[in-house]
Amino acid sequence: MQTISAVFSYTLKEHLRRKAWLFAALFGLVLLGGALIVSALGADERARLLLDLGLAAIEAISLVSVVFLTVNLILSEIESRAIFLILSHPVRRADYLLGRFLGTVAAVTLGMAGMALMHMAILSLYGWWEPGRYLAALVCLLGKTGVMGALSLLLSLALTSEAAAMAFAVFLWMLGHFSSEMRFLADRSGSAFMKTTLIAFSHAAPDFAHFNYRDFWHQAAPGAEWLMWAGVYALAYTAACLALSVQLFEQKEF
Amino acid sequence: MNAIRFQNVSKIYRRSHLGRVTETTGLSDLKLDIETGEVFGLLGLNGSGKTTAIKLLMGLHHPTKGEVETLGRRAPDVAVLARIGYAPESAYLNKTLTGRESLRLFAALSGIPAADRERRVTEMLVKVGLDKALDKRLCEYSKGMLQRASLAQALVHNPELVILDEPVTGLDPLAIKEVRLLILWLKSRGKTVLFSSHDISEVERVCDRIGILSGGRLVKVMKQDEWQGKADALETAFADAVVRTDGVGPIRME
Repeated sequence: MQTISAVFSYTLKEHLRRKAWLFAALFGLVLLGGALIVSALGADERARLLLDLGLAAIEAISLVSVVFLTVNLILSEIESRAIFLILSHPVRRADYLLGRFLGTVAAVTLGMAGMALMHMAILSLYGWWEPGRYLAALVCLLGKTGVMGALSLLLSLALTSEAAAMAFAVFLWMLGHFSSEMRFLADRSGSAFMKTTLIAFSHAAPDFAHFNYRDFWHQAAPGAEWLMWAGVYALAYTAACLALSVQLFEQKEF
Repeated sequence: MNAIRFQNVSKIYRRSHLGRVTETTGLSDLKLDIETGEVFGLLGLNGSGKTTAIKLLMGLHHPTKGEVETLGRRAPDVAVLARIGYAPESAYLNKTLTGRESLRLFAALSGIPAADRERRVTEMLVKVGLDKALDKRLCEYSKGMLQRASLAQALVHNPELVILDEPVTGLDPLAIKEVRLLILWLKSRGKTVLFSSHDISEVERVCDRIGILSGGRLVKVMKQDEWQGKADALETAFADAVVRTDGVGPIRME
């Protein structure tokens, strides 16, 4: 536990000093631009558009930052050889990987929190204030971010190039939004090969239908059970990716 | 008990590129025991296997054949790393941290209790002469200061076995003298020291025994009485023992 928390703290500090928070500043600009664009619309429409724009921007910026940070997480330490000194101390490789991952997710979460505060402040100026629903949406975004972070980490250890890992991560993020469509096509497909391939992809890619809280935005809110299953799915998928990452990392030589 | 045992250890590096596999021998049938309390020097040309041998001890590489033991435990053994201090050839430290933060991290990773950590970190940084740079970022340190910080992380947890990979490379004469005095100080406290070097003059001044590596093979082991008091004995033995494998011929003086 001491090891994991030491690596966690060091990772968080590293990201903050490398100015990972600039992503949140970028969000601020997007929001400001959006507010200016929607200023011509009626009050209800303004709030709705700003809500959708803001949450979409938080998701996009968090995705880009988590994929970029986790793909480089271990590879940069291998390249700089800082990993020699870390692993020459009594640190289990699994603990190191977990500490680095949690530190990175914490850094991205802080960025998301900063963006959410700015977003909520602008929305309240336009008369929209539903903090409970907003928080639930944010927690779902966090689940998505955690899943993508774990997947990007696995890809960075499995593939030899950062660019390939990032490209695959984005590809799987896109596929993750079409899981039900892939299963539908698999059911309808006559070819055994296509059926198997589609089913394999639909299970390998994360199923983001579990986290689409915004689908319920303009209807009755889903219950606690829905949120609980989203949480269970996020933890299970993240744990599976981390377990595979540890297996790959144990075999690496430096 | 021997502090270090290499039992017929070989390390073959295999690289695969576009279907072609190339093999390079890092170490070949290394058989070597280093006694507790001894200062042992590993001499060799670039690419002779010194760093490979050290990385096998630290668990950063896995042997292709044979067994490596450190402090009575088969390597890699995470628990035994708490009793070993390692400083690589360059200070591979994370430059976003300050000297104090970096050493605090390594102290935590080494299992030093939180109550004792701050005192030990400050004492060690003062001991290596970095008391005026404790809270400066490592990116502002000079090469000599980074080397001292690297030595500090190797010693903060009071290890029984200290492994130094080319500790004097690139240092000024004053720093070289300080490293030599440090090694003698460690020896006076009953520590076992293994260090690799190109510098014959430094090795012959501090070592109890030396081993000469050439092309991955241990070609000669000499005791102190074989070179002490005999001018150039070690240099002559080294020149006779090694075979250049780097495609570079001798400088001709005709």
